[in-house]
Amino acid sequence: MLSWLVKRLLMLVPVFLAVSVVIFSILHFIPGDPIDNLLKIGSSPEARAEVEARYGLDKPLPVQYGIWLGNVLTGDLGTAIVARRPVADLIAQALPHSLRLGGLALLFSTVVGVTLGVVAALLRDRWPDRAIMGGVLLGSTMPSFWLGLILILIFSVSLGWFPVSGARGWESLVLPVLTIGLGGTALVARITRVSMIEASGRDFVMLLHAKGLSPLRIQLRHVLRHALIPVVTILALRIGWILGGAVTVEVVFARPGLGTLLIKSLSQHDYPVVQACLLMLAMAVILGTLLGDILQALMDPRVRAALS
Amino acid sequence: MTVSFRKSVLAASVSLAALLSAQALAAQEAVFAMSTNEVGAPTYNPIKATMLNTATGLLFDRLVSQAADLSYHPWLAESWEEAPDGMSWTFKLKQGVTFHNGEPFNAETVKAWLELFKTTEGENAYMAEAIASVEVLDDHTVKFVMSRPEPNLLYNLSSTFMGVVEPKSFAALGDNYGVTEVYGTGPYKLESFSIGQETVLVRNEDYTWGPEMAKNHGPAKVERLTFREIPEDSTAFLELKTGGVDFLLSVPADLMGEVQKEANLAVLTMAGQDVWYMPINVTKAPFDDIRVREAAAKAINQEEILAAVFGGVGAVADTFLISALPESHVSDGAKIKYDPARANALLDEAGWVMGANGVREKDGQPLKVSLWTQSDSIFRRLTEVVQAQLKAVGIEAEITTFDSSTIRDQYKTGEQQLAVRSYNWDNADIVDWFFGADRLGYPNVSMFNDPKAEELRAAAMTGSKNMEERIANFTAYHEYVLTQFPMAPIYQPVQAMAYNKDRIALPEKIDAPSFGAAAFLDLEVKE
Repeated sequence: MLSWLVKRLLMLVPVFLAVSVVIFSILHFIPGDPIDNLLKIGSSPEARAEVEARYGLDKPLPVQYGIWLGNVLTGDLGTAIVARRPVADLIAQALPHSLRLGGLALLFSTVVGVTLGVVAALLRDRWPDRAIMGGVLLGSTMPSFWLGLILILIFSVSLGWFPVSGARGWESLVLPVLTIGLGGTALVARITRVSMIEASGRDFVMLLHAKGLSPLRIQLRHVLRHALIPVVTILALRIGWILGGAVTVEVVFARPGLGTLLIKSLSQHDYPVVQACLLMLAMAVILGTLLGDILQALMDPRVRAALS
Repeated sequence: MTVSFRKSVLAASVSLAALLSAQALAAQEAVFAMSTNEVGAPTYNPIKATMLNTATGLLFDRLVSQAADLSYHPWLAESWEEAPDGMSWTFKLKQGVTFHNGEPFNAETVKAWLELFKTTEGENAYMAEAIASVEVLDDHTVKFVMSRPEPNLLYNLSSTFMGVVEPKSFAALGDNYGVTEVYGTGPYKLESFSIGQETVLVRNEDYTWGPEMAKNHGPAKVERLTFREIPEDSTAFLELKTGGVDFLLSVPADLMGEVQKEANLAVLTMAGQDVWYMPINVTKAPFDDIRVREAAAKAINQEEILAAVFGGVGAVADTFLISALPESHVSDGAKIKYDPARANALLDEAGWVMGANGVREKDGQPLKVSLWTQSDSIFRRLTEVVQAQLKAVGIEAEITTFDSSTIRDQYKTGEQQLAVRSYNWDNADIVDWFFGADRLGYPNVSMFNDPKAEELRAAAMTGSKNMEERIANFTAYHEYVLTQFPMAPIYQPVQAMAYNKDRIALPEKIDAPSFGAAAFLDLEVKE
């Protein structure tokens, strides 16, 4: 198990390097120049050259990449060009907001998704199943940007229950969490249902029935536990996805976070900040996948056995 | 699973009850939504910042204020005098003014503040670059010794970037100045600032030195102001509609109708500082022929655009400058106005004959040109109308759309022929910025490089001793540029804002170029 874990961790190194090259290069290949935002009407070409030199933008790209990677590995994310503050500070301010939002959305997706999935599986092909699966289809296809505005219209404008936007108190978290969480809920519900139905047909279930256990007890104690393995994997994979999904939702609800920081920095072409944000999002995906693998290994006796 | 579900239902209903009892805003507080283009300003440090928002103008006063007609009036300076040769200025300062941290405002602080422009790393040094040194004549009189005449000095001194900072705390706080703490002499003090989120200001109770054009010179009438940063226009509008926000400092044209539909909301407009125009690349055939340039420029029907695209809100543009600027008063003949007969005649004269399909031809080549625009919906709508108007005189323009943040790099290639764009500036030196020969591509999208224009430009930029001379020189430069048709002026928008009539009482007249300190001093919240 330990050697597997070490191997799995070592595999992260090439993945990280590949991701860093991609993040660094796409930004430099899209047109647009951060210096344009710094220079005001009346600035001379000399002033421009001086600013470029100050931020190292006059050096060849591979050199810029080397310097950047070296700094990132030593924990130095650089200084924001437009915001003129250490990028690490900006990230440290934004990240807790995104983690709170993303974490709650994940929790919501898990609790509601698994519940709906179990109900749908237990009442397979009856009307609650059809209603839930219909809702799931709707939930997973609605773009979060649009869903956010619709939720604002219903719950803030018409009903007046929650504030339209902002980050004051928990009540301003409800609608953003719902907006991000509903998509995940749909996914989790679907996987839980399929996985429960699939597990119900296994031999051990027949054995349990033969032993005379109550069907509900079999489903909730034995089948559900079995069925949760793929659900946990999916949830871990969604950690990165949820942080990424928070980008548009944070903008719609005018909340602080990695998403608002990323969008603002993109429009200002503030490379160091954009790179750091993308790196954070990519790391979330990578670590989420790792976590998914580890959890799966721990939960599935077959995987555990194969590893040791 | 079921237990936790039940718990969350319970929690949700408890919280709902709490919400329903949530109270409305207490009186004498107002919530503003910052203009969307001001969202994300990272600091309130006017010496270092490249971007400052509306709240900055309430923290810092300036020596000089501007009225709606862009004339200059006293603020922290009571009066001033320029030496006849333009090589020095003497300012008499107001007495009894103090900074938020209790430090006095006097001649010494003005000297120390101006030195910060030279010693602080940043891109704003040029604001004070022509001031060689500052002499303290007495406690409340300063003399600026100039390195060259700078008739634009009063403009710079009235800019938010020249808000007077308290020099001691500026030095002591370093990079935290403007982020965690900030001290000016303004009508409001900073209570809290969360970057990209909100800024809370509280009234400066000692304030009695407001700008001349405000009716109330202080203290301000509203105790607390909250400025929220909402990046999405539609979210900001919904906040206004539901009472979460009392005032939107910007409203896009497409939401104006929605605002007018609500009984308790109103739109406030002030003269704009934008000009929309169509640059014409003078180096690209067929526009290397001045006749074709003039024809394209005079094919633009500004009145029709004002009515059809902008619903009649705003004004037509017939020069390159906003009409509040004296330099926009060029001779009638130099103004660029819709004249289809002249456009058709010029094209005939240049050898472009009308073809059967409504597109002109010369030597078997159709008069086809490219027309660049940016992806924002209002640009696309306007550009389609421009395309139709060009077609009416036989010019077929093909629209290419670029992302608004990348179009500048496209201009740098110099491949553009026609484009639709806008700028925001309230000083005649914008002519230099967009038509100076050393900035071809961008900002000089027209690739305009004309020896006579360069001569007039030098005279306007550095050869004027005083304000009258500067106005005369810039008017001449501006007028000459217009006669060479490197662009066609189209439209001047207004600054549109929206507010809740039940909450906010506005002064009858806001005599200032924008919604700033003067307006906030006179603004009231209804009980």
